[in-house]
Amino acid sequence: MQEQETPQKKQWHDKYYKLLLLVPAFLLLFSLSYLFIFYSQNGDIMHRDISLTGGTSITLYDNLEKIQIENDLSSKLMDLNIREIYDLITREQKGITIETTSDGEETTEILENYLGYKLTKENSSFEYTSSSLGKSFFNQLLLAIIYAFTFMGIVVFFLFGKQKKIKVLITLLGIISPILFFIFKVLTIQQALIFSFLVLVVNLIIYLKYNVPSLAVIISAFADILMTLALVNILGIEMSSVGIIAFVMLIGYSVDTDILLTNRILKKEGTLNERIFSSFKTGMTMTLTSLVAFLIALIIVSSFSAILTKIFTILVIGLGFDILNTWITNVSLLKWYVKSKNEN
Amino acid sequence: MKIKFTWRIWLLIIFLIFSVISIVNFQGFFENGILIKSVEQNSTSFEQGLRTGQILISVDGKKVKTIEDYTNYIQGKFISEENVKTIIQTNQGEFILYSNKAPQIIVSEIPKTNLKSGLDLAGGTRALVQAKDIKLSADEIGELVDVLSNRLNVYGIEDVSVLPSLDLEGNNRIRVEIAGATPNDLEKLISEQGKFEAKIANETVFIGGERDIASVGRDAQNARIESCGASSEGYSCRFSFSVTLSGEAAKKHAAITDKLEVNSTSEGNYLSEKLDLYVDDKLVDSLLIGESLKGQVTTQISISGSGSGEIEEDAYETAKESMHNLQTILITGSLPYKLEIVKLDAISPTLGKDFVKFILIAGFIALISASLIILFRYRNFKSSLMVILFSSSEIIIILGVACLIGWNLDMASIAGILATIGTGFDDQIVILDESRNRSISSLKQRFKRAFAIIMGAYLTAFVSLLPLIWAGAGLLRGFAITTIIGISVGVFITRPAFSDVVKGIES
Repeated sequence: MQEQETPQKKQWHDKYYKLLLLVPAFLLLFSLSYLFIFYSQNGDIMHRDISLTGGTSITLYDNLEKIQIENDLSSKLMDLNIREIYDLITREQKGITIETTSDGEETTEILENYLGYKLTKENSSFEYTSSSLGKSFFNQLLLAIIYAFTFMGIVVFFLFGKQKKIKVLITLLGIISPILFFIFKVLTIQQALIFSFLVLVVNLIIYLKYNVPSLAVIISAFADILMTLALVNILGIEMSSVGIIAFVMLIGYSVDTDILLTNRILKKEGTLNERIFSSFKTGMTMTLTSLVAFLIALIIVSSFSAILTKIFTILVIGLGFDILNTWITNVSLLKWYVKSKNEN
Repeated sequence: MKIKFTWRIWLLIIFLIFSVISIVNFQGFFENGILIKSVEQNSTSFEQGLRTGQILISVDGKKVKTIEDYTNYIQGKFISEENVKTIIQTNQGEFILYSNKAPQIIVSEIPKTNLKSGLDLAGGTRALVQAKDIKLSADEIGELVDVLSNRLNVYGIEDVSVLPSLDLEGNNRIRVEIAGATPNDLEKLISEQGKFEAKIANETVFIGGERDIASVGRDAQNARIESCGASSEGYSCRFSFSVTLSGEAAKKHAAITDKLEVNSTSEGNYLSEKLDLYVDDKLVDSLLIGESLKGQVTTQISISGSGSGEIEEDAYETAKESMHNLQTILITGSLPYKLEIVKLDAISPTLGKDFVKFILIAGFIALISASLIILFRYRNFKSSLMVILFSSSEIIIILGVACLIGWNLDMASIAGILATIGTGFDDQIVILDESRNRSISSLKQRFKRAFAIIMGAYLTAFVSLLPLIWAGAGLLRGFAITTIIGISVGVFITRPAFSDVVKGIES
């Protein structure tokens, strides 16, 4: 049965694969413009929580009305944000988390006066981040992601690229910024951010000239991250420092399927479409198992851990976009490349 | 199916055995008794030789098996104010205490595993500290770490770790983590520079630290709360303790007091100037100097101060705390820099226990559902069972390594374990699929191909995790390190063994 299906599939995909690229291209363009507008309105590329802006978060293990506290304290505590915590099994309220950009001592005092009892380590948890530290964390995590991306690109080129000299060149380019910044300390973090971003762009141009498959992998991973970030912003999810971990995990998962695909397509066994289809079967199993596992974990953790909920939400969104970007963006770009190479 | 026990499979088995040995705390299974988690310094228990880590077996000949056994017995025993004899039998010998107070120790069940959970799960206080207004070099931070740990130890805080923390921006900070103390204790000890000066008529006689202070009296004879009484703020209590000056400081004291005149008052004869005590340039107390001390080279002097509160009990506690603080800074001297706390987290242990349980439930259900998909896709029960077995063995090895290197598992590490399991699943699917790839004839070639893909994915993940080790003052290091350990164990130990098992299933 499969053998009859495949030729039809072939024809259909052969005809439309370039056109299919319009879907991710449109989404990417939309995400980029949304992020641009978001930036011009908020002066930032994401909603940040207090671990990245600075502020205080206090969790009280007490049955308190969210709305009541909101009404009573929103005039006293800046940017007040309140969340309830439930028991996983009984669904009983176990506590309430109060986040504000006001500083630690002030918040504790206001809360103690309001509640009429002292906050101790038995009845509450307390977290305070100074605003300078929050900003510094944010910049560092941004830089960590750009470096992660650059290093990942270099490894991908080592896997699929051929030219030794170019391998040396991109590696050198890739490590200049970390060396100048981290070892010799001659760059400020802002300069390092700009510099490493420029290096990333230069490397992408080199990939375009010398090894399109590597470029296709990186574009897919990049599209995953941007689309996820845009949707996270649209949903109004606040990013925490631990939440940023999810984006690094996403780079890893996104590249897994892309490497599988590229590896199989560049080996010449069977027809091009057979190779694509076999990768699709394996890759979809990979992504679906992860997606289902994360989705279930998300449902379970959402009642008791804000941090893990954020991580899983981002991963679920990201893996969803990864299906699109691996099987349309990456496949079509690769197919285009292999076909044009065969014609020459 | 014929599985040959190849050296790869044996390697995995050996790693698993070692991991289990490193995770399980055999003491917890074979020893009867409870663990002494901490002993208050300078208490009777401490003086008699009870120490953290000893296992308490019996009290007054009564066997202690659970914490309830212990607390019930002790609560019943110390009702009156009289001194009583208590015989405590531990695995390191017998200790006899005479006291009117219950032994000042904290006990817990002997843990069954060596796993240590991080502060955000187990509860505790964590502060990120930096020097105010200046950037410190790594050497200066090293010095500061020593001074700060010394101060916390002298103050008597147990279970404290003070570590330098370098981040991506090159900021040198200090991370202080304490299992027990409250944020207030910590804030006081860190935010006070603790510059102690004793002056007479604005001339410094001696300062805190070992140059001028030979020793500070801290036992019941040499340090005490003397008197409490009503005051303008409610109640006020006075404390005093003895200090032994160094020879140098004693000579200075003699030279300065020699110049002073003697004033006669109805309460006695005192010198014309007082001894003023300053902490961080703030006057905390002024003491009258007795006539007999004029011009005397004396090393023994007495320092006093007071504490107040709305009720007498509060005043007593404040006085005790102030005395403790003052003793601490006299011994340790001033911190070399003014410090500020840039991050302070105090996590209550209340939620921690449930948390770990919930995460285990979530992880288990997620693992089962992912394997159901594999069962559905391959219609092969053995393969799906193998996937679960190998993923679980990977978790065991990660935890084993964590115990071995004393890694604290925090929330970020748990995310790391999840990332590892996800990657492990992906890789195993690649191995299963490649092993059935009919376009390559030799099974060996198929596995070679699978490993090319897995190695590629491993290397990309590895390099993209590296920057996270240094970003964010090491708070995300748990994620980066755990994931790196996990994926490395996967690629070099479990995946090769898995492929040998799959070989057996396929052939």
